[in-house]
Amino acid sequence: MTINRFSFKFPSLFKLKFRFGLRIKLFLLSLFLFAIPLLGYQYVWEMEKYLRIGQEKTLMGTVRAVATALHERPKLFNRQASFLPNVQKGRDLYAYPIVDPIQLDGNLNDWRNQDRALNYQNDYLIEGHDIYQPQSLSFKHMVGKYREHLYAYFSVTDDSVVYRAENSLKIDQNDLLQIAFVTPAGDFRRYIISTKKEGWVTAYEINTNPSAHSPLHSTDNQPIAPENRIQGMWIETEQGYTIELRLPLSLLGSQLSFAISDIDEPNQTQKITVGTSQFMQADQLGTVLLPSPEIERILKGLDHSESRIWVVDKHGRVLAKAGDIKNSDGVWGKMTKPELTDSWYRPVQQQLLSIYNKILTTPPKDFKDQLYDVGQLEGSHITTALQGESGANWRLTTDNKAVILSAAYPIFSDGEVKGAVIAEETTNGIRSLRNQALQSWFNIIIAVMGLGTFGLFVFASRTSNRIRALRNQTEQAIDDQGKIINPIAMSNASDEVGDLQRSFALMVQRLGQYTQYLQGMSASLSHELRTPVAVVKSSLESLEIDLPASQDNVYMHRAKEGVNRLSTILTLMSEATRLEQSLQNTETVNYAIDEVVSGCVQGYQLTQPQQDFTLSVDSLSENPDDNLLSKLKVNQVNGGPELFAQLLDKLLANAVEFSTENTIIDINLVHKNDVFILTISNTGELLPVAMQDRLFDSMVSVRKGQQASQLNNEQHNEQPHLGLGLYIAQLIAQFHSGKVELVNNIDATGVDAIVTIPSIKNNTI
Amino acid sequence: MSRTIAIVEDDVSIRKNYTELLEKQGYKVQAYSNRKEAQLALTQKLPDLAIIDIGLEDEIDGGFTLCQALRQLSSSLPIIFLTARDNDFDTVSGLRMGADDYLTKDISLPHMLARIAALFRRIEASNKPTSIEDNIITGSVTLCLERMLVHWQQQLIELTVTEFWLVHSLVKVPGHVKSRQQLMEDAKVFVDDSTITSHIKRIRKKFMVLDKDFDCIDAVYGMGYRWKAEAKSDIESNAKSTVN
Repeated sequence: MTINRFSFKFPSLFKLKFRFGLRIKLFLLSLFLFAIPLLGYQYVWEMEKYLRIGQEKTLMGTVRAVATALHERPKLFNRQASFLPNVQKGRDLYAYPIVDPIQLDGNLNDWRNQDRALNYQNDYLIEGHDIYQPQSLSFKHMVGKYREHLYAYFSVTDDSVVYRAENSLKIDQNDLLQIAFVTPAGDFRRYIISTKKEGWVTAYEINTNPSAHSPLHSTDNQPIAPENRIQGMWIETEQGYTIELRLPLSLLGSQLSFAISDIDEPNQTQKITVGTSQFMQADQLGTVLLPSPEIERILKGLDHSESRIWVVDKHGRVLAKAGDIKNSDGVWGKMTKPELTDSWYRPVQQQLLSIYNKILTTPPKDFKDQLYDVGQLEGSHITTALQGESGANWRLTTDNKAVILSAAYPIFSDGEVKGAVIAEETTNGIRSLRNQALQSWFNIIIAVMGLGTFGLFVFASRTSNRIRALRNQTEQAIDDQGKIINPIAMSNASDEVGDLQRSFALMVQRLGQYTQYLQGMSASLSHELRTPVAVVKSSLESLEIDLPASQDNVYMHRAKEGVNRLSTILTLMSEATRLEQSLQNTETVNYAIDEVVSGCVQGYQLTQPQQDFTLSVDSLSENPDDNLLSKLKVNQVNGGPELFAQLLDKLLANAVEFSTENTIIDINLVHKNDVFILTISNTGELLPVAMQDRLFDSMVSVRKGQQASQLNNEQHNEQPHLGLGLYIAQLIAQFHSGKVELVNNIDATGVDAIVTIPSIKNNTI
Repeated sequence: MSRTIAIVEDDVSIRKNYTELLEKQGYKVQAYSNRKEAQLALTQKLPDLAIIDIGLEDEIDGGFTLCQALRQLSSSLPIIFLTARDNDFDTVSGLRMGADDYLTKDISLPHMLARIAALFRRIEASNKPTSIEDNIITGSVTLCLERMLVHWQQQLIELTVTEFWLVHSLVKVPGHVKSRQQLMEDAKVFVDDSTITSHIKRIRKKFMVLDKDFDCIDAVYGMGYRWKAEAKSDIESNAKSTVN
């Protein structure tokens, strides 16, 4: 009769070093959350694109509105050399607006934008082609407008400066500056500036109609009178000389020429003249473009707009300008930053803001835009506008810090394009807006993702903890022998894990019931069988009494023997159960373990003289000088001495049975670290490997039939074996809070039964 | 006048076997198969001895109930439990109910007859004056063989027949070790070693109720038990008390 036990053992496969647990899986899944900010970021970019288009449209509207105010007003543009089919740099002068006042002292430091001054050399040679040498004459020249005057300077390079002779009436036998222009009234005027020495100079008006006085010297420059409205300063420099002068705008029309004549030796008639254009006839003069005060007045009303507005003539030269690009953020720039509200999360918000500012490019306040030479604006949008179409253009500032949106719209007059209006704005407004959107988006995303990830993590942790707890409970429910030790608690959770736990609990419960049934089976079986055995026994005995002759009958003997054996089997079958029950009711006492061991061994030696036993008790060696009383105390264990004797009975009987004939059974008792270790060693057959885990289960026997018949002891020969001996030994050891092990000895010559029993603690004595 | 023995046993074969056997021995036997019948008949007229099975037909503890009922009617009626249940718990409860002995069903008939005879002898002897010659006195213990009584320091200790025989087996040769096998033979029981152990435990407890320091039944591990002489001072004091 063998009863299989259930054993739960998890394969080592599951005990991988790296556990790809639920928590990690959920964490990886939650990484998809990071797609949300990406989408948001994308969305904000799209929004920015639409805003830019919107800004472009708005700006275009502005330009169109400004242009509308300037349409069909030819007067505004007529002065601006609009009659010329094209303008030529150097010949057609542009008066740059001068912001700071200029001191007429020959010192040019107060001129801004000196880089825009033009260098006049042989290309602009008017006279003296045959003798011109580059080092003999060249000059840098620039004109500017300040209030009601036109300012000009000439930085002349001349290897020899020839002044007007002290006594000379002629003013053209020396180095001189020619000025020619047409007045607003249409009169052609010429002036010459020449001086006897460096210093303050005044222009002489020249007779523009010399033939009337002296037809012989048509080229003579006859001074009429000094014109003190045209004055300036003549200063000698290392290269030559510098003339800085001014003339009132009231004198000036739209045509103007300057020329420098150079005579290298006094009283020499040969001279070299370099100038902006021919100056002798009015129709040969070059032009000058002055920023138009009328247009500027119109634009002044737009000064407070969010754009910088230019008005250019049809040659792209700036006539008027309003607004500053640095304040031109566009419509969106007016959206002010929301102030941080004073609340508990303000420090957090500030921290976040500083991080965002590192990530996001904040629009710069101090970008530089020096692309435009206001004398000549360029760009595809301007070109388009001057051809009669509206145009827009995106470009970076020269320092790449800001993006500027420009829109241009043509100004028509009499069906002709007279100029264009250009408006410019930076995209800083949109960028600020985008940054704000991204910031608040980031705030929300951080909160959502933080909470989301945290929630998922908590959920995953809780789930995996519950599953782990269930696993632990399952593992602890059944011991190594497959015995149910702890029930699994019923869970109230309504989810799948709860279901699983309930299923496990029920499973273990049912398994427990079944195991209990199996354990109780031998006892109940013996109980049930005892009655029929009693019937047979009493019947046989009645027969004996009735028929005295049957007493000696051999069959009667055998029948009685058989019944007795059956009876013994029944008793043994219920022995373990009875022991378990009696253990529950047994009170533990303290007793000396070595006395029990030595008593038992002596008893065995008496009852089994054919078997040699050796006993060594080392537990006393620790305190050899102690008296009997303390020895007793040292050797006390807690339990039942009779039970322990029973345990020894079983183990010794086992050892005797399995030992080879004529060998000695060693019994050794050692006290070590508060634990008594009793070793019963016999020489003989080794334990079968497969059975090692199950030796102590009830109903497991490794005895072989032939071995039992070899034994000399008749009493044992009669005893049937149910494999309960070791089971009982284990029960008793457990009752003593100890354990029993059966192992093959080191030399593989036999088997050691090792009993470990804890000694009672010193403080309980 | 033949004595009446009541057998309450639900198994027909056993009941009949025992009935016939006891009748052959000259006893008058009343056999019942369940508790109700038995209780009805027995309370009308008490038998001289009752042999009761614990599990009776549908009543799992019917024997215990019946025993209690009978014990209420008579405190001197000998009651023997004869049952298939051999665990400690049932034995203890059975004896606590007031049964005179607790036997498992595989006891041999001669052993049982001897027990029955002993119980009757004890009842008879209790009515007669005791003869001191039959007594065994060792130290503080006095065994009255005729009446199967044990006195410890002049105080009666109530023992079942099996227990008395065990004590007798030990006391008659004080100091000698009796193996469990020998004890079983002397007590006319055939049980396993652990049943003897629990018998001895119960006997000790009964002595210890009277004398906390009782220590005369000595376990010799691996061999058996022996009756150990008391410490000398105890004997002297006891001797003095007997003289007085």
